[in-house]
Amino acid sequence: MNRIAPSPAQRIHRRHRVSFTYGNRLLEGYRGDTVATALFANGVRIFSRSLKYHRPRGLYSLDGESSNCLMEIDGLPNMRAEQVPLRSGMQVRAQNVWGSPKRDLLGFLDAFHWAMPAGFYYRLFHKPYRLWPLFQNLIRRAAGAGTVNPDWVPGRTDELHLNADVCVVGGGPAGMHAAKAAAQSGLRVVVLEARPWLGGFYDWRTARYDQAPLFERSRSLARELEGLANVRIHTSCTATGLYGHNLVTAVQDGGPEDFFYQRYLEIRARAVVVATGCTERPLVFEHNERPGVMQPGCAHRLAHTYALLPGTSAVFSVGHDLGLEAAADLHDLGLQIVCVADCRPDGHDPQRVAALEERNIPLLKGWVAARALGRKGVEAAVLTTTDGNATRTVTCDLLAASAGLSPLTGLLSLARLPLAYHERTGFFLPTSMPEGLYAAGRLLGYDDPPAIELSGTAAGRSAAAQCGALDVGTAQEAHRQLKDRHRVMRGSKLVMAPGANAKSFVCFDEDVTVKHLRQAVSMGLDVPELAKRFTAAGTGPSQSGIPGHNLPLIMAHLRGESAGTLRPTTVRPPLKPTLLATYAGHPMDIHKKTPLHEVQERSGAVFHRVGVWKRARYFRDDPTGRDEILNVRRNVGIFDGSTLGKFRIFGPDAEKALQRVYVSDMSRVPAGKLKYSAMCTEDGCLLDDGVVTRVGENEYYFTTSTSRAGATVEWFRYHSRHEDWRYHLVNLTDALASINLAGPKAREVLARLTDADVSNEAFPFMGYRTFRLQGRVPARVLRLGFVGELSYEIHVPSSMAATVWQWLLEAGRPFGIRPFGLEAQNVLRLEKGHVIIGQESEIRTTLIDLGLGFLWDRTKTWAKTVGAPALQFAENQKGRLKLVGFQVDGTRPPLDGSIVVDGSIRGHVCTCRHSPTLEKPIGLALVHEDLAAAGSRLHLFEPGDPPEYFDAVVVPVPFYDPHGKRMKS
Amino acid sequence: MFQPFGRLWKQAPLRSAYDVVIVGGGLHGLATAYYLARNHGINRVAVLEKNHIGYGSAGRNTAIVRANQRTQENIPLYDEGLKMWPQLMDELDFNLMFFNCGNLNLAHSEAALGALRLQVASAQYLGVRSEIVDRQQCKELIPQLNLSEDITYPIFGGMYHPPGGTVRHDALVWALAKGASARGVHIHQQTEVTGITVRRNRVSAVETSRGTIATHRVLNAAGPWSVLVSDMVGVRLPIHVLPIQAMVTEPLKPFLHHVISSGTYHCYAHQSLKGEVVTGAHMDPWISYGTHVTAHYIRHQAEALTELLPCLRGVKFMRQWGGLADMTPDMAPIIDGNDPIEGYYMDCGWGYFGFKSAPITGKYMAQYMATGRRPQILRPFRLQRYEENRLLGEIASPPQYGPWN
Repeated sequence: MNRIAPSPAQRIHRRHRVSFTYGNRLLEGYRGDTVATALFANGVRIFSRSLKYHRPRGLYSLDGESSNCLMEIDGLPNMRAEQVPLRSGMQVRAQNVWGSPKRDLLGFLDAFHWAMPAGFYYRLFHKPYRLWPLFQNLIRRAAGAGTVNPDWVPGRTDELHLNADVCVVGGGPAGMHAAKAAAQSGLRVVVLEARPWLGGFYDWRTARYDQAPLFERSRSLARELEGLANVRIHTSCTATGLYGHNLVTAVQDGGPEDFFYQRYLEIRARAVVVATGCTERPLVFEHNERPGVMQPGCAHRLAHTYALLPGTSAVFSVGHDLGLEAAADLHDLGLQIVCVADCRPDGHDPQRVAALEERNIPLLKGWVAARALGRKGVEAAVLTTTDGNATRTVTCDLLAASAGLSPLTGLLSLARLPLAYHERTGFFLPTSMPEGLYAAGRLLGYDDPPAIELSGTAAGRSAAAQCGALDVGTAQEAHRQLKDRHRVMRGSKLVMAPGANAKSFVCFDEDVTVKHLRQAVSMGLDVPELAKRFTAAGTGPSQSGIPGHNLPLIMAHLRGESAGTLRPTTVRPPLKPTLLATYAGHPMDIHKKTPLHEVQERSGAVFHRVGVWKRARYFRDDPTGRDEILNVRRNVGIFDGSTLGKFRIFGPDAEKALQRVYVSDMSRVPAGKLKYSAMCTEDGCLLDDGVVTRVGENEYYFTTSTSRAGATVEWFRYHSRHEDWRYHLVNLTDALASINLAGPKAREVLARLTDADVSNEAFPFMGYRTFRLQGRVPARVLRLGFVGELSYEIHVPSSMAATVWQWLLEAGRPFGIRPFGLEAQNVLRLEKGHVIIGQESEIRTTLIDLGLGFLWDRTKTWAKTVGAPALQFAENQKGRLKLVGFQVDGTRPPLDGSIVVDGSIRGHVCTCRHSPTLEKPIGLALVHEDLAAAGSRLHLFEPGDPPEYFDAVVVPVPFYDPHGKRMKS
Repeated sequence: MFQPFGRLWKQAPLRSAYDVVIVGGGLHGLATAYYLARNHGINRVAVLEKNHIGYGSAGRNTAIVRANQRTQENIPLYDEGLKMWPQLMDELDFNLMFFNCGNLNLAHSEAALGALRLQVASAQYLGVRSEIVDRQQCKELIPQLNLSEDITYPIFGGMYHPPGGTVRHDALVWALAKGASARGVHIHQQTEVTGITVRRNRVSAVETSRGTIATHRVLNAAGPWSVLVSDMVGVRLPIHVLPIQAMVTEPLKPFLHHVISSGTYHCYAHQSLKGEVVTGAHMDPWISYGTHVTAHYIRHQAEALTELLPCLRGVKFMRQWGGLADMTPDMAPIIDGNDPIEGYYMDCGWGYFGFKSAPITGKYMAQYMATGRRPQILRPFRLQRYEENRLLGEIASPPQYGPWN
């Protein structure tokens, strides 16, 4: 490994060697390396091939700004090798190459760039159309970066939901000072830092401020913060989003000592400080992404952080003082610096200029790199004056190029702050900040360490003041000092190098060049948003990382306008691509079980998810429920109906509330008897049905369907929101279980559990009684007939439900009792012609369409019933779909969802089953009213290949026991 | 052949009068303009766009096309629309990237399969290819599918609709703009409509941020903003505007060869030709004109996708965005004209069906506006149906208590 002498700022641990494989080579790096730096140390210079042209791509930056170093690591595609910490045994592969990154069979495509103008794929391949699928296949195969690995199993993921007073994003000097200032006010502070350590730009710089080299200064500041109990620091943790009311989301990579692979964080903070700093703005010139071209900061960090010399002889083309500093510093570390071109004609930091002079490094003011020469790596650089009038060629193997700095405003953009061009810095920055959100540091254009630190302190104090922990005056004092003593830097105004054209890449990920943008502008796609969509610039894996700042500048330039006229494209979350596994977290199926779940399980119930519930669909090997059905008809069955909505409503105005939502007249609800009624929407469509009984003075007990149990309280409250009514509504659904005991022998079973008189005379059909079972368990018993037999719905406290279920099974054994499931219940009620909402009704089906119009009491006009005006309107309307019963000729029932046809579609089958009781196929259908009369012939169409036709006839419902003798007996 | 396009649409001065003014430079507006010029020789047409063309739903949808709707009122329109893509690519001389990959819609219960069967039956009866598939066939179509019983909603089966697929949505915007402009239509971007003048119950002019335009025919094709445009003439629309979010993963080599969707999981996904997995589904349950996204939504989507397609666990979400859906009570559009105001036409309320329906609706809308007579195929979509409480049956579910129903 060709490392240089250790820098005091280094982050690698030379005592810990780490071996890994690249392709089939076994290589070594150090602990602290990233995959990319370890590869670089082993001489790898070409990391990938570009998407369209298959151009060689190398290490360009270290924070994932481009797709240059996307690799497959441990089976995962599209990993950013420059950010992934090296681990022992890692398997690294190049992706999207045909052959190897060095020798890629598709490399020839680069020569055909002329055939691929902006949006070329919109012009080609579609004529003649029959050839298009062929090209389509080729396009699909050529596109896409990595390959999905179906066998990858994520490590443990974690999630953390933090509440903080202040959340500081960015742990550089500004962020650390902001955190410190806020923490000094006693607030709880969370710091998020994307790199594995705090320090930002200080971390590798040996320049001095206040006696100490910057890297030392930042490390001691970091230690200070780490020692504060009210500061929580998350490193390797990238903020991915900023949402309303200061919700920050972030993703943290687990280190070797962490228990998690990746962690998702949500931080709800009272104040957020964004101190994300800057990245370097890519310099756009011919072949600006050749391996060997890298950002000066990247070169600088390679040397200090990873002890790697980025090349042997270098040309710098920069637009900022940090670039000058890097050149001088790298010279001292042993890199030959041929010359430094700086696109700024003036305004250079005199100290740094002097440092270059001391080292005899020529500084060319007003010069810029115009072209990189060399095929698979830089061999020379062509420099030019910014007006393009003079050029010279310089031999080198490293071209450290940058147009200046670019602020990382992603989070501010996500806060939906409009960005505007800032004349002095050349940055796109928000013109104002909302309350509770603060920006600090280099991001704002501060360049000097004192300014950056003070700006952090000022933001931290503002955040503290926002939290009420500091008086506003003290907070403003820091801002005043900042304003008085410091100015933001003057940024480079260079848009791109002269002559930038067909090989000057604005977006590396998508191979978009200046030429492509020029073409887009000439087509009329002359704003960044349109050009982005047309050329795909900024839509690749690293999004606007490379083109973000340059795109609006270059487009304005191409339009002949000044820099500030166009704005950057919208930034979208997540700011760092994040694994679905991390977002998904632990697989969690959150469902509800009834209190009878376990006892039914013991009886062999097969459960299915229905809404939020797990419900018993059938028992043992009876998926059609045939035996269960016949047993209910002949003997007795029990059914778990605990999901049914159960409510108590009481108070002086309870009756009014019932009148409002139920269509029937609820003023005459008797005690001891049940009233069946329905609720409608404002459209008169059936919303819910159930029974109501009066259980005391101004007190009622009622049931709703399972699906409405959750929304009923809201429905009542919503429709009485303008009234001054006094009533309480209590949802007892989970407190009470419901067991339906049904069948001709149900009474005999029930009688064994109670002393109460349950004879037909004492407890008739539609009666309601309360008594104790076995003298102990209080029960509300409703005599209903949903399945068409003598049946009792027994409501008991959930905690005792399993016991009661067992008692019933024991008491019923002599009578052949057995549990039945949803499927059996479905057929039983079908035979009885009872409706299930959602199965026999759509969103547009009115009460009248279902034949339940009789429930609606027209005389209670004074009561303002929800849905009544619509019912009045719909009552005599022609041409509606009506619910009918039908009987099928033949023996096989058509499947649910078959349609009724007679040249056009006239309705559909809601439910159709073979009735074990009647021994024929029967069903319910919604059909056009012309076909709804009893005796009408229906023609049914069941889809299939080929489709099947059925003939059926409309018959009156109920199919079974039409006069209800059985349920009333 | 290897040259770039010339200017896609011409820059034209804003005239003081046009035969037809179209409010909204989205797909429905551009398509109508294109067909007015192409089929009816009406080219004194202005398309007015507040932002840039394709800014709204045209550029934010997830580009799925299909014709497996639920009702016979809807299916023929979508079916004809679906058959247009090859022809449109030829006629507009623009590669719209129609990817005829077919759509698989999953059912997670017997009841859901019944609901899908109704859709399949309607489609088959009306001559549209669509079929019920069992869970094994689902797996054959999408081998990565998780057939395990241990997921929240185990897969029962599905509906497969071979003629469907995806189209590059932005390309359609540009192609229609190009085609319309070539036939003389004026496209005015950054031009906001501020009012519509009605005299003696007839449209007489459109007020814009750049001046008044005299015209007797206006089409409201403003998508989510159609409610506000309609308010200008006092026609209230039963449209609720809800935010809808979508996202894409990083690009991957092709592995998902069909559009897959699941109503129960509130999730659909397909892989674009570029290789990104495009996914989205349900709307935010609150009315808003904001296009911001929420933190929980991307998590929900990841939960659903990783259960259905576990291979996606190792894939990364790259970008999440929001758009607006103009929802009507019955998930069917409002297409109407000359009622109650002469010369005022509407083509709105598409919810999330606006993309796949754009070219075909534009064709018939142009016919409607050129002749003043409502084409048969557009008859079911009159605004009046809401007053008459005759909703179309696109929604199978029973009433729910939500902001739009």
